[in-house]
Amino acid sequence: MKKTIPLMIVIIGGIFWFGWALSTHKFFQDDFYYSFYMPWARAMAPFAMLLGVVSLSMMHTNKIKRRAPKWQYSYFFFAGFVVTTLAGFIGGTQKGGVYMWMFENMQMPMSATMFALLAFYMASAAYKAFRARSPEATVLLLAAILVMLAQVPLGVQISKHLPTISQWILDVPNLASKRGIMLGVGLGSVATTLKIMLGIERSYLGGGD
Amino acid sequence: MNFFERIQKLDRRWIYIVVALAIVIPLMIPYNSDNVTTPPTENLYQMIDSFSGREDRALLLSFAHDASTMPELFPMEVAILRHCFERNIKVFMLTWLPQGGPIIDYAINTVKEEYPDIKSGVDYCNFGYIPAALAMPTIIGMGDNISTTVKTDAEGRKVENLPIMKALNNYSELNLVVEFSGSVAGMSWLFYARPKFGLNVSVGVTAVMAADQYPYLQSGQFIGMLAGLKGAAEYEKLVDVFAAYREPGSPIRPTFDEEGVKIIPGRSFSSDILADDAAKKLINITTQSIAIFSPAEFQLFIDKYPDKTALFNQIKTEQDGKILIDVRTVTEQQKEELGYLAWGDLNRMTRNILYKFKVARIGMNAQSVAHIMIILFIILGNIGYFIQKARTAKK
Amino acid sequence: MSFELMSNLVGAFFTLCIFSFLYKDNPLYQMSEQLLVGISLGYGLVLTYERVFVPYFYQPLFLKQQWILIIPSIIGMFYLLRFSRKLSWLSRYPIAFSMMGVGASVPLAMHTSILVQMRQAMVPLESVNLFLIFFGTIAVLLYFFFSKAHAGLYGKFVNVGKWYMMVGFGASFGLTVMARISLLIGRIQFLVNDVMGLLK
Repeated sequence: MKKTIPLMIVIIGGIFWFGWALSTHKFFQDDFYYSFYMPWARAMAPFAMLLGVVSLSMMHTNKIKRRAPKWQYSYFFFAGFVVTTLAGFIGGTQKGGVYMWMFENMQMPMSATMFALLAFYMASAAYKAFRARSPEATVLLLAAILVMLAQVPLGVQISKHLPTISQWILDVPNLASKRGIMLGVGLGSVATTLKIMLGIERSYLGGGD
Repeated sequence: MNFFERIQKLDRRWIYIVVALAIVIPLMIPYNSDNVTTPPTENLYQMIDSFSGREDRALLLSFAHDASTMPELFPMEVAILRHCFERNIKVFMLTWLPQGGPIIDYAINTVKEEYPDIKSGVDYCNFGYIPAALAMPTIIGMGDNISTTVKTDAEGRKVENLPIMKALNNYSELNLVVEFSGSVAGMSWLFYARPKFGLNVSVGVTAVMAADQYPYLQSGQFIGMLAGLKGAAEYEKLVDVFAAYREPGSPIRPTFDEEGVKIIPGRSFSSDILADDAAKKLINITTQSIAIFSPAEFQLFIDKYPDKTALFNQIKTEQDGKILIDVRTVTEQQKEELGYLAWGDLNRMTRNILYKFKVARIGMNAQSVAHIMIILFIILGNIGYFIQKARTAKK
Repeated sequence: MSFELMSNLVGAFFTLCIFSFLYKDNPLYQMSEQLLVGISLGYGLVLTYERVFVPYFYQPLFLKQQWILIIPSIIGMFYLLRFSRKLSWLSRYPIAFSMMGVGASVPLAMHTSILVQMRQAMVPLESVNLFLIFFGTIAVLLYFFFSKAHAGLYGKFVNVGKWYMMVGFGASFGLTVMARISLLIGRIQFLVNDVMGLLK
């Protein structure tokens, strides 16, 4: 009951989906997909968002209660969350309101800057960790330097053949290796999917009975 | 601790300062440089350009990213929109991410400022945010009929009543989609629309993912690709050399000839023009303020504005048999007399590029310095490592 | 001070707060990090309510009286039972419902990533490059085939796959450098042009 019914849903539903992908029959396309699956999935979707809200709020409430390290900053989480939510529900989501202003002038610059930090870490790693310790690493390093030089205008001035060489690296050895990996990964994921559909793989349902 | 040990253990903050300087300085001091175009970019450009002026062709831009990857993807979006507005190409936009909506608006507004004739619902249409849960039915549904699948646009108007839809039904007309993404680019289109409807798919991706897309490019599943900031810079360059190029005598807006055939300004892609040195004058990213004409070109140019001949003759200067107009010397009053069209046309002849249309190329200048710096870091780090290793072995 | 400048100054302040982490961890960074998470969550919640909850749950259920939708919404609410010790097993139902879509991904992924790619790998080897691609693809595939020992002539052939991959990873790394630097360039262009440009 606790695990068997969810497994049956996945197996039977999976078979319907399989039919949907391969057949144009009205049963799969209209009855199953448009009339049953879409409205159900849409009605279920908002609650997944709620799960995120509840879980983050619980985490921060616990942090404040237990006076865990850096608990004071959890208040900023609540401040950001409550103000944005109220601004959105009261003031509306159109451009020009507080809600959009907060998103454009606080959320966007901050998330972009978070990722920009990576540039510094990468430069530091290039200096401290990127070593030609073995012949393989040397090849990797050489390919990287060639591609890097060919990307930038200054590099192209060193030799006008660089873009051709770099394009060849991307078009031939890079393509072959990525295709090999892609075929391997693709077959692997198809195998995993089949295992899920047949009920062999069930870790996604969590532990317990 | 000897010297080599010390540079091996250099505090990371020194490296951070060098990185910051290597980027800030070239951004503050722009210089002219050339970005060599690659086949994936050229292919996409040519495909989009083949739609120019056609009522029964359109492309769809899918903004599948948020603010975090904007520095790489936003210049691509601006460049493609500019291409579409210059060459009269119908363009649609949508996003699967809540964070994508403001980015679409920002991109349209950025480009549209320079094209007052371009109208929403006529030349472009923004579908806005469509929840990711509906991506699959939307992608498949548009293969049958666009306006019954996406019923309203972002402004709340009924899609089927919009003038842009006059000759557009499904993927037979909306023939190309370009997805901008920082994660799994274009896959949903490849999964659902490419096998079923033969839709042309292409992507604008962050450089991190670019190398992984080559198998799809070779198999023709993607017809083209813009790879990171370099891809954006290449596209900006192509737009300047071809789509935004105007001869002194040619009109800057679409016109109709005697038989009523629409003439689209700009010129078609050609690798000969690209290889020619004359193209270099069109892609200067430093500020240009002087328009240079030969006497014959000048005549053609002022013939377009017969009532303003005297004014043009007043502001021109002559040098070595060439006619020069420095737009910095034109007074406010003269600008007003010239009017919006003629003043805009004159500015185009200086071959000056607005900042927002060369962001990626200015960025590539900083990339040049930063790349050389990273390569030096790698080499220095390795020299230190090997000398250190040799010393330890000796001991 | 114009509204635009004020907005940009706020953006610049938070940009610098995050960058301050490079020097060392500090209260300004911690504050911005938590604010970022909070604002993102609030933004998502309001949009989900407006664009998903209202049109796909509230309107069909209460305005069009499609009462059957009560069932999926109850199943959806089971998500929240994850936090209950006794009833957490009920949260498997919505997960199972969303997992059944994997059935469609078998044929679709087979087509896009395997069949079309295999067909392209088997085109007539008319040029040296096509031969090199074919050879490399086979070698990389065999490199991950561990049921046969990588020894002798076979081992040497399989080893070629490793070299191909090293070149591929090198190319990826070279492009990654550009990607990371681009993100920083974007932020610095914002600080230098959008903010300082307005201050001038």
